[in-house]
Amino acid sequence: MAALATFFWGWLLTAALLGFGMGWIAVVHRAQAVSKAWMRWLALLAAALVAASFTRIVPGRFGYWLDLFLVMFALYLCGCAIGSWLRDWVVTRSTLAARAAKSAQNDNL
Amino acid sequence: MHGLFKWSSKWWPGVIPLVIFWGIAAWTSTATVEGDLAARSNAALKDTVLDKRRISVDGRDVTFAANAFSEDGRVSAVASVEAVPGVRLVNDETRLVPEAKPFVWSAERDVVRVTLGGNSPLPSSRSKLMEAAKANLGGVEVVDQMGLARGAPLRFDSATALLLDQIGKLKDGRITLTDTKVNLSGMARELGGREAIAAALKNLPEGYSVAVNDIRAPPYVFQAYKDPVALTLTLTGYVPDNNVHAAVVAAAGRKFFSEKVVDNLKASIGAPSGFAAAVVPALGALSRLSTGTLVVSDREVKLSGDALHDAAANQIRGGLGRDFPQGWQYKAEISVKPASAPVDATVCQQLFAELLSKGRIRFESGRADIVSDSAGLLDRLIETAMRCPTVNIEIAGHTDGDGDEAANQTLSEKRAQAVMDYLVRAGLPASRFLPVGYGSTQPLAGNDTEDGKAQNRRIEFVVK
Repeated sequence: MAALATFFWGWLLTAALLGFGMGWIAVVHRAQAVSKAWMRWLALLAAALVAASFTRIVPGRFGYWLDLFLVMFALYLCGCAIGSWLRDWVVTRSTLAARAAKSAQNDNL
Repeated sequence: MHGLFKWSSKWWPGVIPLVIFWGIAAWTSTATVEGDLAARSNAALKDTVLDKRRISVDGRDVTFAANAFSEDGRVSAVASVEAVPGVRLVNDETRLVPEAKPFVWSAERDVVRVTLGGNSPLPSSRSKLMEAAKANLGGVEVVDQMGLARGAPLRFDSATALLLDQIGKLKDGRITLTDTKVNLSGMARELGGREAIAAALKNLPEGYSVAVNDIRAPPYVFQAYKDPVALTLTLTGYVPDNNVHAAVVAAAGRKFFSEKVVDNLKASIGAPSGFAAAVVPALGALSRLSTGTLVVSDREVKLSGDALHDAAANQIRGGLGRDFPQGWQYKAEISVKPASAPVDATVCQQLFAELLSKGRIRFESGRADIVSDSAGLLDRLIETAMRCPTVNIEIAGHTDGDGDEAANQTLSEKRAQAVMDYLVRAGLPASRFLPVGYGSTQPLAGNDTEDGKAQNRRIEFVVK
């Protein structure tokens, strides 16, 4: 699959950026979270798809599309993880800075 | 880590555009990926010898069908495709080329084309054979009906190359190689072609042998045409060698006393046995015709034309076949030339003198037996005698000065008598002729040279 990346690297990059953006937003997003039970089912589905990909049981074009989806999804997840972690780091730092400034102000008063 | 798990529960909204992107990516890249994999799979098999190779790509899966020429070749071809980066699965539909038993290869030549058929062990052998055929045969169309099969005998390429050379020497025919046995049939293009093919077949590679060689030689043709207007005798066709060539031309010179011999003969092997023994008397028969054609084809002699008088026609029709060697056939289509207009005694004498100045009636040495070479001249003399039926003719015999005068006198008389007998046998009345012998009493030239003696030995016709 790596040898073929020249044909769709743009889409892989798009998936990673999309993930980064989603991860960035997710930290402060107020959207409804997926329940733990759903998470388990989704993880199971992802594992099943990965297993199907590695065992090569999906034939022809469907197999290729599955592989392509899994690669894009993996990069999306990586993007999400990096985005969320970075955002969390930025938020935490600005909060700490705000608190420090506030306490300094209180001390001055 | 706990935070990452917490945030991941809110990552799901991005999956919706991801799926859309995935759909677009799949839509746009599939055909390109398939094309690239097909091209690289074909490139990987570039140096592998396969027949009926077919590669189709579905996603990243390659369906590979081909006929291989060995099990090793087949396995390595499949491995080459599997090793192409990006290929996920190879659907192996390869198999071995069927084995031919017996392994047959053939080359057939007809009027317009050469057809190569049967089996060839490898595509390279096949294309080599086609190229060799086209190079050997000049502009002749070459049709490839060869299939591919395993099981060819060793040294197949060199054997077929040699056989292909032989096809060029055939006018039509077929050469078949069955395993290591060669069968040949057909007609050689040229005289000597059959012998050349037989000689070439001795160079077949080790282990190969000729089972049947039915190559026929083209007819061995010799032709002679006597043209009474141009006064030529044209010889065409073949003679076995230079000795026979010289003998035939010399015989023609003796028998055709007034014609110029045009020699277009070529020497070639392949003559039927007894060729010279048949052609020389046949030329003698032709020399007796006013106009005629002699065709000798293998062992068949055909003579056609106009004899100068009835008796000559009958003698030619009936007599010639007896002179031929065993196994020769003789066909004569002889008609008689219409009688020429009568002439008076003076013209008659002129015609006799003219004929006898061009040629001389020859006898066996020291005897009164007319040599057969003189038959043509005698027929002309008879024809002339028939044109002046009212005149009487003295047949005068002369000898050279050698030997006893009495013996010469007797010999000249006997020779004159022999000529008269010949004329009478041809149907002329004996009463018109008077044979006279003059011995050596009336020489034309000196008897001290061979040339002079030859001029003195003569028969003269004197109109009385």
